[in-house]
Amino acid sequence: MANLAAVVGIGQTKYTTKRDDVSIAGLVREAAVNALQDAGLTWDDIEAVIIGKAPDMFEGVIMPEIYLTDALGCNGKPMLRVHTAGSVGGSTALVAASHVQSGSFKRVLTVAFEKQSESNAMWALSNPHPFSTHLNAGAGGYFAPIIREYMRRSEAPHDVGIKVAVKDRLHGARNPLAHLQKPDITMQEVEESFMLWDPIRFLESCPSSDGACAMVIANEELAEQAPKPPAWIRGVAMRSEPTMYAGREEVSPQAGRDCAADVYQQAGITDPRRDLDCAEVYVPFSWYEPMWLENLGFAPEGEGWKLTMEGATSLDEGGDIPWNPSGGVLSSNPIGASGMIRFAEAARQVRGDAGAHQVEGAKLALGHAYGGGAQFFSMWVVGAEKP
Amino acid sequence: MSQPEVLQQSFELGFTYTRSVGPVVGRFLTELRNRNIVGIKASDGRVVVPPMEYDPDTAEELSEFVEVGQEGEIVSFAWVKEPREAHPMDRPFAWAMIRLDGADVPMIHCVAANAESDVATGARVKAVWADETIGFITDIRCFELA
Repeated sequence: MANLAAVVGIGQTKYTTKRDDVSIAGLVREAAVNALQDAGLTWDDIEAVIIGKAPDMFEGVIMPEIYLTDALGCNGKPMLRVHTAGSVGGSTALVAASHVQSGSFKRVLTVAFEKQSESNAMWALSNPHPFSTHLNAGAGGYFAPIIREYMRRSEAPHDVGIKVAVKDRLHGARNPLAHLQKPDITMQEVEESFMLWDPIRFLESCPSSDGACAMVIANEELAEQAPKPPAWIRGVAMRSEPTMYAGREEVSPQAGRDCAADVYQQAGITDPRRDLDCAEVYVPFSWYEPMWLENLGFAPEGEGWKLTMEGATSLDEGGDIPWNPSGGVLSSNPIGASGMIRFAEAARQVRGDAGAHQVEGAKLALGHAYGGGAQFFSMWVVGAEKP
Repeated sequence: MSQPEVLQQSFELGFTYTRSVGPVVGRFLTELRNRNIVGIKASDGRVVVPPMEYDPDTAEELSEFVEVGQEGEIVSFAWVKEPREAHPMDRPFAWAMIRLDGADVPMIHCVAANAESDVATGARVKAVWADETIGFITDIRCFELA
């Protein structure tokens, strides 16, 4: 039986295209300092630091965690770097949580970041290989055929992805930290935007952002003394599977289903749409909302798109299960941090501290991240009430 | 069955990254362009050159810049008898840890000398500036014996 742990501090940077005013160290530092301030703590109160980011090729700094020890106050403390591709922000938070749940540490700092302006993620994700044509297709090129297969199977109307693209940007317009600020976005504008990877349009894709996110996670005793309400960690789960194998279900990966079942079981959730108040789910391309609604059990197979079209996932339409009230990955995407932002935003909701994108009365929220070829999954459920 | 031909192909993987140095290292490089060398004062009073962004002991953000001397002394060194193409000099020279006057920690740079026997721990050196300074560490072309 794990010990209780809770999020007692959250810090983020304002997500934007280019933070050329700071070094990589300055960027992670900003989020970490914001998290310490939110928790009313100083560097001395932290026992260990868990850091995560996506592939080193993204900035071309190999093992950046070594260079970041000074910026994160790690001297004389244990420091660990986590890497699980795009899901890394989520799995980093889970590794940090496990440090506390195990009873080994009382209070840890966890940070995730990406400074996309220092390179080109599309190149880094699909760099050239010998004896091959260089496709430079990036993540969109990988996911486009999987999305098309979902559209074929579900017979969903053509504008489901367009609706998600609008909905998440309207959510993002409520969140001052969101990179894209598009309060006047329309379905027509999305539909007319450039087709990047058919069927994925430009405005149905995530932006390329610089940013960092940090959290302080504490044990039960210290969480109860925290100045602001803690977000109690009610369930944690990670699953992975190979990128490719014969018969792999790529539209709704088994690892995602298993991960969700595990985290729901720990949190006592039997019907996620009914039992959860909101969810922050990794949706980098718009169609992944209906796909994950099904994979995560919010809707039966083939019917996820109906929730989206009914407005069930929209704050602005008064939906019963808002997805990505912060604006999600579609509004801000510092890749290595994006998963942690989902986890942190879920925690902000149950702390009642989400500002203009607060889901009223949120008590139980899901944070979700996926990475690689939709093969690494990490999830947590956080609650306002101590279990 | 014929034997397969084992193929190989030359393969170059490269990308031009952008690096933002931030306000502290940025100040150091800007000062080099003006032919000044600056360090930063740490929480224990030591002057660190080149400057670092965060204190090694307290983790606090550092901001007190200190101009240091353009002369100093060699703390330790390695003699390069046969320079290669990538080296900064085409004749024998020393890589040296140089503690500049007013600094408490050494920094690494190259030292021009006629012979290995001229270089020693404790030897005094002075900076030689490049003809044109652009905000690179190579704005200091080298150090020479003072």
